[in-house]
Amino acid sequence: MSASANSLLPSFARAPSRVAIQQAASYQADLSAVLFEALREFKLTVQGKVILLKPNFVGLDSDNLAMNTHPAVVGAARESFLRLGARRVIVGEGPALERDSEAIVEAMRLREYIGRLPGTFVDLNVDEVHRVSLKTRASRLKELHLPQAVLQADLVVSMPKLKTHHWAGVTLSLKNMFGIVPGCCYGWPKNILHWAGITQALIDINSTVRPDFVIVDGIVGMEGNGPIQGTPKACGVLVVGDDPVAVDATCVRLMDLVPDRISYLVYAASLLGHLKEEKIQQIGASIDSVRTSFEVIDSFRYLRSPNWRKGWNGNCTDPTTYAPKN
Amino acid sequence: MLGALKIATRRFKDAPSQAFRREICLPFLLETQNSDGGWGNQLGLGTTVEPTCSALLALASASNSGEVTNSVGRGNDWLLAAQLPDGSWPACLGQQAGCWVTSLACLTLHTQGLARSAVARGVRWLCDAWPGEGKLWWRIRNRVFGETFAVKQNHSFRGWSWTPGTSSWTEPTSYALILLRILPEDLLLRSAVRRQRLGEAMLYDRMCSGGGWNCGNPMVYGVAGQPQVGPTVWALLALQDYPDRPENQQSLDWLECAYQHIRGPGSLALAHLCLETYGRPTPPLEPTLQSFFLNNQFFHSVPTMAWVLAALNPTRKYLEPVRRGVTER
Repeated sequence: MSASANSLLPSFARAPSRVAIQQAASYQADLSAVLFEALREFKLTVQGKVILLKPNFVGLDSDNLAMNTHPAVVGAARESFLRLGARRVIVGEGPALERDSEAIVEAMRLREYIGRLPGTFVDLNVDEVHRVSLKTRASRLKELHLPQAVLQADLVVSMPKLKTHHWAGVTLSLKNMFGIVPGCCYGWPKNILHWAGITQALIDINSTVRPDFVIVDGIVGMEGNGPIQGTPKACGVLVVGDDPVAVDATCVRLMDLVPDRISYLVYAASLLGHLKEEKIQQIGASIDSVRTSFEVIDSFRYLRSPNWRKGWNGNCTDPTTYAPKN
Repeated sequence: MLGALKIATRRFKDAPSQAFRREICLPFLLETQNSDGGWGNQLGLGTTVEPTCSALLALASASNSGEVTNSVGRGNDWLLAAQLPDGSWPACLGQQAGCWVTSLACLTLHTQGLARSAVARGVRWLCDAWPGEGKLWWRIRNRVFGETFAVKQNHSFRGWSWTPGTSSWTEPTSYALILLRILPEDLLLRSAVRRQRLGEAMLYDRMCSGGGWNCGNPMVYGVAGQPQVGPTVWALLALQDYPDRPENQQSLDWLECAYQHIRGPGSLALAHLCLETYGRPTPPLEPTLQSFFLNNQFFHSVPTMAWVLAALNPTRKYLEPVRRGVTER
């Protein structure tokens, strides 16, 4: 498994994190060069290692508009890790809503970007699974069966799309890790995670398999009723870093939302990384220079409102129950 | 195993298209059977219930050859041994709780006329397995928050969940209904008839507005969800006793339109099976399957290969009893 076992530290015991915002105007840009330089900046040790890239492939989007991590970003990341000396770079995803993963990756033309798929792409929904005790007890799950490809990877790279989410507020590197939970055990969608509480399950999963690195595809994101039915939103950025909480917080700030109001980020900051701006060193473009206001659905307006007060249970699983009625 | 697949690929390239079933599907399923008798999801993976059921459902009606008969027998033995004491089946080995695959396991055994008592215990478990939305706290929550729920659906129609105690969804409900609709009366508990009625009502309630089904959320925050091929196929197969209902016809129309844009072999085979079941015309399957196979070898997926084998079987009645009488194993 990845190095996540050593990554559960309270914020005060954690060194400041670094997050890089790289600008890229479109998917036709030389993304490999951008990502290669960004990865070198973080001095990742990847020589001889097996890297698992975990993109966010949600559904069929043959135009590659905004639903899925763009295959050009996945291809560029794969190429960059191989250039840095990785022994093997596999792409693994377990879509939550669509069982036919082959249809998804064919519709998005992933083959054109990463080459032959068998052996390189792993459908995490149907991979061999092993029982794993969860490292935290935020939810009542206690254990999950997780895919071998994830457990055997030396480095797990979460590669989300910059999107709003109608249940969780936003979906970024931490929420993206729901995709490692195998559908063959838990179904499509992985409803057990919703029943356990999105926030709580998300903490447990990321505590157990904390992403070692994050690459957020924010070249074109999604606003409104994400993660599927929202509207494409051009942002022109790739956000990278080795602290998933800090990367997600930075993304939320550049979406012009307030990270302290995303309950799962607040919880995650207690063990998994930094949320506060003063603990995050920005590299590359500044947040202000790329800030783009994302629309959110009504029940998440409090993510922007300056006068919002946190709900009684701080839980985002059903935000309509405590969102302000204004 | 990989070598066997390469051989199969080479053969396929030289073989006429009608040989796809004989030269690719059958050898693949026979060669990917694990030594314990079952199948994993993909080439080389450990045995689990769903792929074993998929393979058995396809093989049992594919050929009477000794090799296939022997393979099916070993598969059935594994399946029977995997049943939990409460009558259910787990999704993967090591899980102590049964789940959605119980319907598939019962269906697999029942369509072959096997293991009546095991099927009866499985059916009893299914009838007792209520989804989470039926529980007291859910009803209270529903009563208190009622109209504020983002998902509008009739929670009095309950089907089956993927895992115990979670919500009803299209596919597990469909699998259970496909089983219940073909059970003889003496295996149908009184509660099964009620569950069947509620499950069918749930499926119709969850249909997408233009026809077809997705995983089970046809409307979220007032926005209509898009139907998907897989759930639509399973729901239509579960509701095939009502072919003339407008919802069925509307969903078949959607599936026919979607058919030509399908990009995955599993979805294509399932859609083909469903449309043929309803007597709708379908274009020849083999040419598209050939191109899919050459692209990705179906990701070496056992369920996909099994669905393809079933779809290419000219004599099959998929998911219908293939043997008369019942044999106790």
